[in-house]
Amino acid sequence: MRAALLASLASLASLASVASLASLGACSKDKPAGPREAVLEAWKADKLAPAAPLAPAQVAFAKDCQGGAIVDIDLLLCNFATPAEAKAAEDQGLGWIGAATGASQAHGAALIVLADRKKADPNGRMINRLMKLAPK
Amino acid sequence: MPRSILVLLALVALVLLSVPVPAAAGGGKQVRYVGIHPMPRSEGGGICYIEGPHVHIYDADRIQYRDHRGANYFVGDPVAYGYDGPRYAYKGHHPIHVNVVVGDEDPDDEYCYLSGPHFHYFAPPDGPEFKLAGGAYFYVGEPPRAYVEARPAMMRINAVYQPLVYERPQVTIEAPVGWIGARAEFAAPAVVVAPPSAVIVPPSAGISIEAHVPMPSLHVDVGIGAPAVIVHEAPGVIIEERVRVKHDHGRHRGHYK
Repeated sequence: MRAALLASLASLASLASVASLASLGACSKDKPAGPREAVLEAWKADKLAPAAPLAPAQVAFAKDCQGGAIVDIDLLLCNFATPAEAKAAEDQGLGWIGAATGASQAHGAALIVLADRKKADPNGRMINRLMKLAPK
Repeated sequence: MPRSILVLLALVALVLLSVPVPAAAGGGKQVRYVGIHPMPRSEGGGICYIEGPHVHIYDADRIQYRDHRGANYFVGDPVAYGYDGPRYAYKGHHPIHVNVVVGDEDPDDEYCYLSGPHFHYFAPPDGPEFKLAGGAYFYVGEPPRAYVEARPAMMRINAVYQPLVYERPQVTIEAPVGWIGARAEFAAPAVVVAPPSAVIVPPSAGISIEAHVPMPSLHVDVGIGAPAVIVHEAPGVIIEERVRVKHDHGRHRGHYK
């Protein structure tokens, strides 16, 4: 009798863990996979997206970066382990901009670097919009 | 070449040299900025609307900008350069809490030395140091020594804005009690302004600036973002500040009043 009771309790517990795993799965589906994806999602929600999928980019100051262009502005998006690390890389991001108008800002654990090398955004409104849309 | 043309050319050169206009930074060197600011005509003029930290490859002048964590922060009136966003009217000198405006955690109080009605793109923080009257903010706080010490040099900003023609805020209400512009202890020492023979007479307590132009007159038009200067020969300009509440029933446009 006691053994049967224990067995039913164990099966209930395993059912509960399966249910909670399923719910975790549902949550992770809604949430962007990383800081970079969170930035891209925020832009997408405002109908802004890179012209082509971002490609892996090699820079000295970060290990996980992707580059491309968004509304004719050159873009570098890097993932860091912590917001502090992303913040610390802001100055090095300026080096990637070079001789152009641009901005390098940490947003959470993502570093967003925008460089208007083609002078596509003469009054900076698009750079401002992209930076303001990105999650903090 | 007639002497009058030589004099005219000399005056043009003088004014061009005296107007603080952002210049191209040498060799494509990055210059840091934070907040919106005017752009030089060589870059198309107008306003750069990037609110956060950013870089350009042109320099900033020392009269309309202050240093904030190594970046140039514009303390002038952006409307004079074509800014078309939200704006807040101020009258007279006041502090700018730069860290609040740009949203970082590095406390930095700078001062705006524009003497007349003008705009900024931010409102002051709530608190007792500003009073809102007639749609304009008046500084009624106690300015620190830093404000007083920098004032003689920084008052030159008024010579930059005085000739700019743009729609300034209409502030016709009596200034609130305690307004810095009506306090005798903050009357400025006389300042000699760089353009030909211009002298700023200290305000007795006040608001408006008037340019008394003897004939033949000096007429200087400074273009937005960069000088586009027309100079007529002149013996001199006396710019005088005085307390006066203007009642022009909203018709006024243009120069400081």
